[in-house]
Amino acid sequence: MNYKSDSMEPECIYSYGGTSIFMISCSKFKTNSISFFFMDDLCRERAAKNALVPAVLRRGTQRHPTQRELTLHLQELYGASFDCGVSKKGETHVIYFSVEFIPDKYTAKSESLGKNVFDMLWDIIFDPFLKDNNFKEEYFLQEKENLSWLIESRINDKVPYAVDRCYEEMCKGEPFGVYVYGSRDDLEQISNTDLFNHYDKMIHTLPLNIYITGNLDGETTEYITEKVKSGRKHCQPYKHKKPGADYLSADTVNYVTEKQDITQGKLTLGFRTDIWAGHPDYYRLLLYNAVLGGGINSKLFKNIRERSGLAYYIFSTIEKFKGLMVISCGIETGKRNQVENMIMEQLNEINNGKISDEEFTTTMKTVKSGIRSLKDDHRQIVDFYLSQFIAGTNDSLDMLTYKLESVKKDEISGISGKIKLDTVYFLEGQ
Amino acid sequence: MKISKQYEAIDEAMHEYRHKSGFKAYVIPKRGYSQKFAAITTKFGSIDNKFIIPGEEKATGVPDGVAHFLEHKLFEQKDGSVMDKFAALGASPNAYTTFNLTSYHFTTIENFTENLKLLLEFVQNPYLTDESVEREKEIIGQEIRMYEDNPNWKVFFNLLRAFYKSNPVRINIAGSIDSIRSIDRQTLYTCHSAFYHPSNMILIVVGDVDEEEVFELVDKQFGETEQNEEIRRVYPERETAVAENYVEQAMAVSSPIFQLGFMEPGEVEKGENMIMYESAVKIIQDMILGRGSRLYERLYSEGLINNSFDMDCNIEENYAFSIFGGESPDPARLRDVVADFLQKGVKESLDEQDFERKRRAMTGRFIKQLNFIDKIAHGFISVYYKGAFIFDYFDVYDKITFGYVNDVFRRHFNISNMALSVIKPL
Repeated sequence: MNYKSDSMEPECIYSYGGTSIFMISCSKFKTNSISFFFMDDLCRERAAKNALVPAVLRRGTQRHPTQRELTLHLQELYGASFDCGVSKKGETHVIYFSVEFIPDKYTAKSESLGKNVFDMLWDIIFDPFLKDNNFKEEYFLQEKENLSWLIESRINDKVPYAVDRCYEEMCKGEPFGVYVYGSRDDLEQISNTDLFNHYDKMIHTLPLNIYITGNLDGETTEYITEKVKSGRKHCQPYKHKKPGADYLSADTVNYVTEKQDITQGKLTLGFRTDIWAGHPDYYRLLLYNAVLGGGINSKLFKNIRERSGLAYYIFSTIEKFKGLMVISCGIETGKRNQVENMIMEQLNEINNGKISDEEFTTTMKTVKSGIRSLKDDHRQIVDFYLSQFIAGTNDSLDMLTYKLESVKKDEISGISGKIKLDTVYFLEGQ
Repeated sequence: MKISKQYEAIDEAMHEYRHKSGFKAYVIPKRGYSQKFAAITTKFGSIDNKFIIPGEEKATGVPDGVAHFLEHKLFEQKDGSVMDKFAALGASPNAYTTFNLTSYHFTTIENFTENLKLLLEFVQNPYLTDESVEREKEIIGQEIRMYEDNPNWKVFFNLLRAFYKSNPVRINIAGSIDSIRSIDRQTLYTCHSAFYHPSNMILIVVGDVDEEEVFELVDKQFGETEQNEEIRRVYPERETAVAENYVEQAMAVSSPIFQLGFMEPGEVEKGENMIMYESAVKIIQDMILGRGSRLYERLYSEGLINNSFDMDCNIEENYAFSIFGGESPDPARLRDVVADFLQKGVKESLDEQDFERKRRAMTGRFIKQLNFIDKIAHGFISVYYKGAFIFDYFDVYDKITFGYVNDVFRRHFNISNMALSVIKPL
C-alpha cells in the first residue's frame, strides 16, 4: 500500500438537486467514516430547533427504539461510533450525523460491516422512533431539558465564552450573532409537533453533503449511493453567501464589559477585515494572523506573554466565512488598559512593516506544519473540505500550501489598512 | 541486534534494536503521517522507594516522590530549559511519572533527528545544584497541595489506601510536603545513576521515519556502554485481602463522588497472560455496568448514577485492581445494589451473546486507536511493562473465550475484595 500516493482530495461521486456524495480515499487510516452534513441558514427562528433535532433522533429508531438497543447494536458492529450535533460555519448552520467503523478485513468473518453501519446511520436520520406521528414525548422533553442546560452552562468554559460573546456583540443584528444552540427563550416555545414538522422539512429540503473516507469497497459505495438517490427528493442546492459589507460599519469602537465571579479577566478584541475565504487577499490574511498571534513564535505571544508576563494565554484567530479576526487573552483585570495598548502596538508594528525575515520564515513553517498535520486526522480532512464547499472556494490542502508559499513578506503589512477594530469585550473579575 | 516483526492481520510492523548496554529501541512505522512521536522511558516510578543498587548488598531507601522530583529537574540544564530547546526545533515536549515508570517525549513534524538527539541526550545529563533542588521543593509543594484539593484525585488515592496497607502504590506519586523536604542532590544523583542507566530504559518512535537512522542515533548516544546488572527492587509482601471495605472523607464538593473497586487477590503473570486477564476484566466491567447493561439502566433510572459514571482498570506486575466511579447521592446504596447483583453469580450475570458483542466492540476500539500516533506510543509504553506488545491485543481478543471470562469473573469480582471510597460534601 503506497500511502504517499493518497492525495486525500474529495471526489464527487454523486450530485443531484442539492445532494452530493464525496469520496475521500485514504488507505493510511484503519477506519472508514460516513458523515452527513445538512446546511441551513443560521437564524434565530430555526437555531434551537436545528440543535434539538439530532439530540432527539439519537434516542432511538424504529428498528432500535431505545438508546440501550442502539448502544448494543453499535457494539455488535465492532464498536462502531456515532456522533451528531450542530456547528456554525459563518452564517451557515450545519446539522451533522456521522459514523466511524473498522473495515471488513479486521472482522472475524469478513462481514459486510459498511452496509450495516450505513443502514443504522440512515435509520437514525430518516427512520426515528415515533409515537402518533410525533417524537416519543419522553425523548422530546428530556432532550429539550438537556439542551436548555447546555445553553445555560456555556458560561462555565470562560475561554470560548469570551470569544463567542465578542462575536455576538460585534454582529448583534446579523445572523452570525446567533448562538450555535439558539436561545433558551426560543427553545422553550418549541412543541413536539413543531419539532417534528421542522425535522421533516429539514431532512427533505435542506442541501446535504455526504463525505465518505477510508477505503470502502465499490459494492458498499454503490449501496450507499442508491439509498441516497431514492431517499432524497430534489431540493435547492446550497447557495454560497457573500459576506459583503452589509454590516453597520461603526466609526467608534464598541466597548462591552461583563462581570463574573472569576479570578482571571478575559479580554477579546474583535476586528473586521473585509477579507474572507475566496478574497484575493485571503492567504495574506492567514499569514498576517499567524505573524500576529498564531503560536509561540507570534508577536502577541512573544511580547505580551513571554517578555512582559501580562497574559497567561494570548492568541489571534480568523473567522474565514465572515472575514473577522479576534484576539483573545487571559489577563489580570487591573492590567486591561496596558494589555489593550500593547496589543494595538503589535498591530502597528506589522502596519509599519516591522516583520523580520526570521519571523516570516518561522511563521511560514508553522502554518505549513499545521496544514500538514490536518492530513493525519480524517475528521479534520472532512471538516476542511466542508468549509471549502461552504465558502465557495476550491482549494485542496496542497493548493492552500502552494498559495501561502507565494505570499511575500511585505504583502502581509500591505493589508493592515483593511483591519479595523470593531468591538472590545471584557469579562471582568469581581 | 535487530528484530523486525510484522503484524499482517492489522497491517502494522515493529522494529526492535538491542544495544549492548541493554537499551532497547523500538520503531513503529506509520507511513504517510506527518507527525512523529518519540518517548524515552525508565522503569522507575513512585513505587520504587526501596531498591538494591547493582554491586551493593544493602537496600537503599529514598523519600517518597523522588521519581517525580527527578522528572521535573531533568528539564533544567546549565544553559537553560530543555523545553525551550525543543520549541526552537518546532517540537512539543512533555513528561509524566506514574506508579511504575517515568517517560519523556516529544511530537514534531520537522527536525525529527535533531529532536531525537536532544531527547536521548538531556535525559542522560542531570544538572543539579542545591539551590535548584530547594527551589523545586516549592514548586512541587504547590503541585502536591493542588492535588490534595482535588476531590477526584483524593477519592482514588483513598481507595488505594483502602485496598492496601503497605503496597507502595498507595503513596502519592509526587510524595508529601514532608517527604520532599528530605530530598537532596545526592539522593537524586543516586537514583539517576541507578535507574537512568540505558539497561533500564527503552525508546519508542512512531511515525514515518527510517528505523536505521533511529538505531544509528542510539548507537552514537550509548557508544560502548556495557550492560548493568538488573536493579533489585524491594517491595513489601503481596497483600491478598483489602485493608478496609469503606473509607470516606469530607471535602468542598456539591454532591458525593465515589469509587467502588475490586482488588485483585492473586498474582497475574506478565506477558500475554496479563493482557488477556486485563481484557477479560474490562469486558466484564462493560458487561455488568456498561451503558448497555441492565444494571446501568436500573442505577441510572433510580438516580444512583449519572453521565459522570465511568470505569477503569489497572492490571500490573505489583498491583492490580478495577474501579467504577462517578457522582452519586447515595454511594453506599449503590454498592449494596452492585454487591447483590454479584451474589447472584456467573450464571445469572453473564450472557454469552453479550460477551461476543463486547469482544467485538473492544476489537473495533483497539483498531481505531491505531489511527493515532500518540495513542499507539502511549499504549506501547504501558503494555511493554506488562511484558507484551501493543499489537498483541488483536490476537488476544480473538483467542479470549467465554469460559475464561467466567473464571476471571469468579476470581476478581469478589465481594470480599471490594472497597468503597467516598468524598462527601462538608
